[in-house]
Amino acid sequence: MIAGAGNTPFFRHPDRTVLSLAREAGAKALADAGLAPADIGMGFFANALSGKLFGDLTVGQNAFAEMGMPRIPVVNVENACASGSSAVHLACMAIRAGEVECAMVIGAEKMCVPQIGLLSSGDSELDTLLGLVAPASFALRARRHMAEFGTTLEQLAMVTVKSRRHSALNSNAMFRTPVTVEQVLASPMVADPLTRFQSCPNADGASAVIVCSGKVGRRIGTRVAVRASVLASGNYDNPQDLARWRTDYDGISRAYEMAGIGPEELDVVECHDAFSISEILHYEALRLCPPGGGGELLTRGATSLGGRIPVNVSGGLLSRGHPVGATGVEQVVELTRQLRGDAGSRQVDGARVALAHCMGGDRAADTKSMTAIVLAT
Amino acid sequence: MSGPGVDSAKTDGGLPPLMPDLFESLAGPGRYGLVGSRCRVCGCRCFPFASHCPKCQVGMDREVVGTRGKIYSYTVVRTKAPFGLPEPYAVGYVDLVESSLRVFGLLDPATIGSLEVGMPVEVTVMPLGVDKEGRRCLRPVFRAWTGMRERSIP
Repeated sequence: MIAGAGNTPFFRHPDRTVLSLAREAGAKALADAGLAPADIGMGFFANALSGKLFGDLTVGQNAFAEMGMPRIPVVNVENACASGSSAVHLACMAIRAGEVECAMVIGAEKMCVPQIGLLSSGDSELDTLLGLVAPASFALRARRHMAEFGTTLEQLAMVTVKSRRHSALNSNAMFRTPVTVEQVLASPMVADPLTRFQSCPNADGASAVIVCSGKVGRRIGTRVAVRASVLASGNYDNPQDLARWRTDYDGISRAYEMAGIGPEELDVVECHDAFSISEILHYEALRLCPPGGGGELLTRGATSLGGRIPVNVSGGLLSRGHPVGATGVEQVVELTRQLRGDAGSRQVDGARVALAHCMGGDRAADTKSMTAIVLAT
Repeated sequence: MSGPGVDSAKTDGGLPPLMPDLFESLAGPGRYGLVGSRCRVCGCRCFPFASHCPKCQVGMDREVVGTRGKIYSYTVVRTKAPFGLPEPYAVGYVDLVESSLRVFGLLDPATIGSLEVGMPVEVTVMPLGVDKEGRRCLRPVFRAWTGMRERSIP
C-alpha cells in the first residue's frame, strides 16, 4: 500500500543540492504518512545524473543518513528516465517479499546546470556517435506514425495544449501558462516534426513515497493499494515497429493481467510524455484506443480532465518538468493524491483505479526499461 | 580486425573511419557496404558487428549486411549537433534490401528538404564530424539512390 507521499516543486533550483531536494520530499512523505524515521526499514534512491554531472555516486546513503535513517539497507537505482518508477517497483517487491513493513522511495534530480548537454543512450554507442539524440528518436516515431496513420501536426501540438491546461492547476509544475496549437507549432523546431514546446523541459526536483505492508496500511488508515507493478526491459528485436511499441504493449498487458483489470477500468493515468508523440503512442499501448487512434482520442477530449480517461492531469513531463530520477516517483505521488480525492482543482471525480507508466533509455530502437504500476482504492 | 574497407576508406580524404570495421568499399566506383555479422547457427544478422549472437550466444561471422535500402523514417535535427556534425543534420531508420535489418544512420545533408518515407537510398561514406577523440573522421551515410550506379556496373 502507499502510506505517504511528498514532493518539492519541479523547477530550477540553482541554490539547492540534490540532497536538500531529496530531504524535503522525504520529510513530507513521512509527515504525510504519520510515520517516523524509525518506521522505515529500507530505502531506495533514484537518481540518474549526479554521477555524470557532479561526480557524486551512491547519493542515496547520504540522503537517508541525513534524514535520520542510518543503518537501514539503501539501494541506489539508475534506469534512465525510469529510475524513479524502477525504485518504486523494487520497494513493492520488498514489501511483497515480507522483507520489511515500510520502504521509502526517493527520486531526486538536479539537471538545470550548464554542463547538462543533450541526453543520449551512452557516449560509446554507435547510434549516439551517428547523431541519435533523445528528441531524434521520438521525432522518428512521430514521422512514422504520421506516415502510417495520418496523425497530424495539429494533433501532436494538441498534446502540449492539453498538458498546459492541466498544469495550470498544478502549483508544483514548471510550465503553467496555457498555449495554443499555433504557438506550439511556431516554437523552434527541435527535430522535425517535434518543436520545443513538444519536448519535456529539464527540471530540478524530488518526490518521495512510502510503500508499506497491509498491516501498517490498516494501522495508519491508508486506502491506496498497489495492485500491480511491472518492470520490463526491451526485446531489441530487429526490425522494431516505431509506430507500435511492442515492449510498451507487452509490459502494459502484463500489468493489466497482474491487476486483473482491463483499460476500461482505469479512471486516471500518468504516462511518460517525454515528447508529444510519446503520449499518443502510450494511449495506444494502454489500449485506450486502437493502434493509430491516439490523435483522435486526444482531439475528442477523452484524455482531458473531465473526459472518459484523463491522462497526465498533473501536466506530465511536458509541463510539470522532467527531473529524470524524480519523474517515476512523482507519478505515484500524483496518483496517490488522485485516489485519496486530495488533488484539489485537478481532481478526477471518483477516481478509484490509476496507472503510472514510465520508460527509460534507448537501445536498438527500443526502450531499455518500461514500468507500469497500477494503484487502486 | 581490419577489413579491406578500412584501408580503402583511409584513402578517401585520408581520414580514419568513425570506428574500425563499420563499413567497407566494394567493387565498383563509390560503392560501400555496412559491415555487420551473421550467426553461425540461427543465421540472424546484426549491425554493427557483434562477436556473439544475442539469441544463440555462439560466434558470428563478419558479413556485409547492406548496401541499399528504403527510408523507414527520418528527421532533421536542429539542436546543437553532437560530435561536430553539421547543423542541421538528418538521420533516419533505413530498411536494408540485402538483410531485412532496420538500421539507424545519418542521411546525406544534401537531401534535407527532399526526404520522404520510402525513399530509396544507398550506403556511402562522407567526412562528417569528429570521433570520440575529437578527430575528423569518415561516417557511413545514406544518400539518394537513383539506380544509375547499379546499371553502370557490367
